[in-house]
Amino acid sequence: MRIRAALATAVASAGILLAGWQSGAHIAETGAATTTSLSSSATSGGTSSGGGTNTGSPSSGTGSSSGTSTGSTTAATFDGTQVQTRFGTVQVRVTIQDGKITEVTPLQLTDAERKSAQISSRAAPVLRSEVLQAQSANVQTIGGATVTSDAYLTSLQAALDAANF
Amino acid sequence: MTSLLNPDTSADSMPAPPPAGRPPAVDRFRTQSRRRLARADLLGAVGWLSGVAAVALWLADGGASGFSSFAGTMTALGIVAGLIGMDLVLLMLLLAARIPVVDNAIGHDRALEIHKSLGKPALYLLLAHGLFVAIGYGAAEGLDPLSESISLWINVPDMWLAFVSMALFIAVVVTSLVAVRRKFPYEFWYVVHLLTYAAVGTAIPHQFSVGGLFAEGTWQRWYWLALCIGTGLALAWFRVYQPLAASFRHQLTVSRVVRVSPDVFSIEMTGRNLERLSGAGGRFFLWRFLAPGQWWQSHPFSLSAEPVPGDRNRPGKLRITVRNLGEGSARLARIRPGTKVAIEGPYGLFSTAARSRDDVVMIGAGIGITPLRSLLETTPFEPGHATVLIRGHDESELFLGQEIMALCQARGVTLFHLLGPRSHGDHAWLPRDVAQAGFGLHSYVQGIADADVYVCGPSPWAASVIRDVELAGVPAEQLHYERFDW
Repeated sequence: MRIRAALATAVASAGILLAGWQSGAHIAETGAATTTSLSSSATSGGTSSGGGTNTGSPSSGTGSSSGTSTGSTTAATFDGTQVQTRFGTVQVRVTIQDGKITEVTPLQLTDAERKSAQISSRAAPVLRSEVLQAQSANVQTIGGATVTSDAYLTSLQAALDAANF
Repeated sequence: MTSLLNPDTSADSMPAPPPAGRPPAVDRFRTQSRRRLARADLLGAVGWLSGVAAVALWLADGGASGFSSFAGTMTALGIVAGLIGMDLVLLMLLLAARIPVVDNAIGHDRALEIHKSLGKPALYLLLAHGLFVAIGYGAAEGLDPLSESISLWINVPDMWLAFVSMALFIAVVVTSLVAVRRKFPYEFWYVVHLLTYAAVGTAIPHQFSVGGLFAEGTWQRWYWLALCIGTGLALAWFRVYQPLAASFRHQLTVSRVVRVSPDVFSIEMTGRNLERLSGAGGRFFLWRFLAPGQWWQSHPFSLSAEPVPGDRNRPGKLRITVRNLGEGSARLARIRPGTKVAIEGPYGLFSTAARSRDDVVMIGAGIGITPLRSLLETTPFEPGHATVLIRGHDESELFLGQEIMALCQARGVTLFHLLGPRSHGDHAWLPRDVAQAGFGLHSYVQGIADADVYVCGPSPWAASVIRDVELAGVPAEQLHYERFDW
């Protein structure tokens, strides 16, 4: 490559990198903030860790349940295990009424970086509707959100185990 | 005009004078060369910028925030290494895709040289990617890198494919290293090289499913998808579809095999639509002779005569001249007339498309003389503005020497036969007595610094020529060299 072309390429490279860095800079700040808040919550007891998925056996002290009576039917909620992933901690709460899964609420979702939070907010509703339809934690993971999905379903399975569902 | 390949004239008959082309316009070749070099620079810049863009994708996603912790730093390094590594792999595939834009700008040889030089860096980056990500993920979850790798393998979908991909990449690069390549037959090396497609194919799923960078709904995902799909389409189009189309279009059939010397023979073929190949003289094709025991081998040979378009009464003609070098080319000598031929090409810049000056110097040795023969037939120059030097141990090694002499007479070219045993030392490309008598390149060619120099012959010999040509003040863009021993 001739010198002039090499110089032009170098300048263009610097420009592209700068543009990328600029558009990522504000994300970096929010990302750092969430990381800090997360590290404190992750120290709470009874967590299980793994490379995204986990065998799903509830650790001691999690899987707590509470029942509320509404009329003739009983709705009970069960909390799943906290599953740690590299993107943050995931924990879900399941509501069971008349032997059916009626609701899944995320208590914590991956939010280590802006991207993880974005993924979570997209994956969680899809997973919820799939779970409600399948009436089990045995559903497909979401493409592009494998780690989050796996952690979500692991936590859910633990909750269902606790409920003897 | 009468054809050299006309069945009723023998291969070494006198050719008719070439058609009087229009006189070269002033600076026509300088302009052509300037444009070609600008295209080459542009392609180089695009290559570099694609690597930079891969890093920018990650920066734009807030990737730089990862450097705040040890785990984050390791993961960030791993991701950047993976992005650049994959970008290099895609560039390598594009360089090997025989895309006309690339071939016309830098030539097939140079493209493959760059392809080769990227192999090791790409592998190191991909290894670093695996290592750093395992350390980074592991540190974030309190696992050692090995356990983390196992956990990724078992638990995360698509990750086992990524591990398979890594193993394939290692196998491909190791078998491609020259030292290893020499120990295995070419076909084995070729099949292993095909595994690259498997390696890239198995690497792609985890990039989109595991990494958050290319999650659904991000513009980064679209960019990366376009890059991967574009590369795949380029390969399918230029390496599969185009060769098939060219083979069907031209319907080449071997018409006869003519012995030029005890171990050199010309294969003449007839075909259709050969006017589409005009100007291909000097460039090479990959030839596949569709006969039992032959069809699976393709051979790179240059045309040794400009293609002759057919007309209503007779088919067009094409000729290659081959030296009996390996087992494969020995079998070619016994190829039967009537054998169908599949082709890929033409490729390479050993043609008029590479010209940058009005004067031409051609220097060839051995079988490397034959591409010069076809280039000499068509490349434009004024009488008295071309010089041809051909080297052989004796007259019988000046393959197609009669044809070259006839062309030189017809077009006003100064021709030198350099005969005799080889010399050693600085001017090893010259015969011994010539070199000892103190003659050199300048004795044969005046004003070489303002001419295009085409060199074709065995590598060590050509290297010696190129040294002297460069010493004579010929800049790189005027030097055109075709490797002829691969």
